[in-house]
Amino acid sequence: MEGQRYIVFLFPSVSYALKAEKILKAAGIAHKLIPVPRHISSDCGVCVRITEDKQQDVEREFLGKVGWDKVVLL
Amino acid sequence: MPVTIDARGLACPQPVIMAKKAIEENEQITILVDNDMAVENIRRLAVKMACGFSVTEKEGGVRDIALVRTGATSQTPVDSEAIAADMSCAVVVGKETGPLVVVLSDNHMGRGDDVLGDILIRSFVHTLLQLKPLPDTVICYNSGVKLVVKDSAVLDDLQQLAKDGVDILVCGTCVNYFEIGDQLAAGHISNMYDIAETMAGAGRLLRP
Repeated sequence: MEGQRYIVFLFPSVSYALKAEKILKAAGIAHKLIPVPRHISSDCGVCVRITEDKQQDVEREFLGKVGWDKVVLL
Repeated sequence: MPVTIDARGLACPQPVIMAKKAIEENEQITILVDNDMAVENIRRLAVKMACGFSVTEKEGGVRDIALVRTGATSQTPVDSEAIAADMSCAVVVGKETGPLVVVLSDNHMGRGDDVLGDILIRSFVHTLLQLKPLPDTVICYNSGVKLVVKDSAVLDDLQQLAKDGVDILVCGTCVNYFEIGDQLAAGHISNMYDIAETMAGAGRLLRP
């Protein structure tokens, strides 16, 4: 994972983030729930971090199941 | 005859303030201090004010510091605020008060809701990595030991902390009680002697 670029998915609320995590767990996609980085503003204090190369897979999993606000490159 | 200032027993920033005042009024002073913080602060003052600086160790931890003006000091106005800002009482005080110890006594953060508490502890442990300076020790006991097992969501963070030099003590009794000895993946098993001693010796104890 060293040198790997990360992106985070921001959600409208904590419950969205939790739901997103469940979906990723079920799909077997490596991810990490982390506090929203200081330089990004969000009402929800946590976000889901994944490696950049997984963005499309993750979006496909989320579609129709959980909504997200935006995706930010770390 | 150099002027002698006795700043023994005085708390920061008193000694350096006295030294500054005295060297502004005299070509040469001797100041007695009894702690490293004062020595460091006066050393920096000497650099700022272009003074000669020498320190002599005396009995009982007393340091005898000689400051000598080397030239233009009296004509050069020195910014007192800049000097004050440069004097670090807090940093050295921090060192003197002992290590920063984080106690993970639960695998949740706070009481009220465990789902929320789970998210919070994960955020907390992840954020520990960004603390400057890092904690010296992390102690896990009771259900806090569940944070250092194989399937823990914060395992990577704790392993990174360990790699960065943080000592992670894991309560052996607790590991035994939860029967997770074969799943430990970070830190090292410790006992109540070490745990109690580390907590008692902490400068600051953080418990999420």
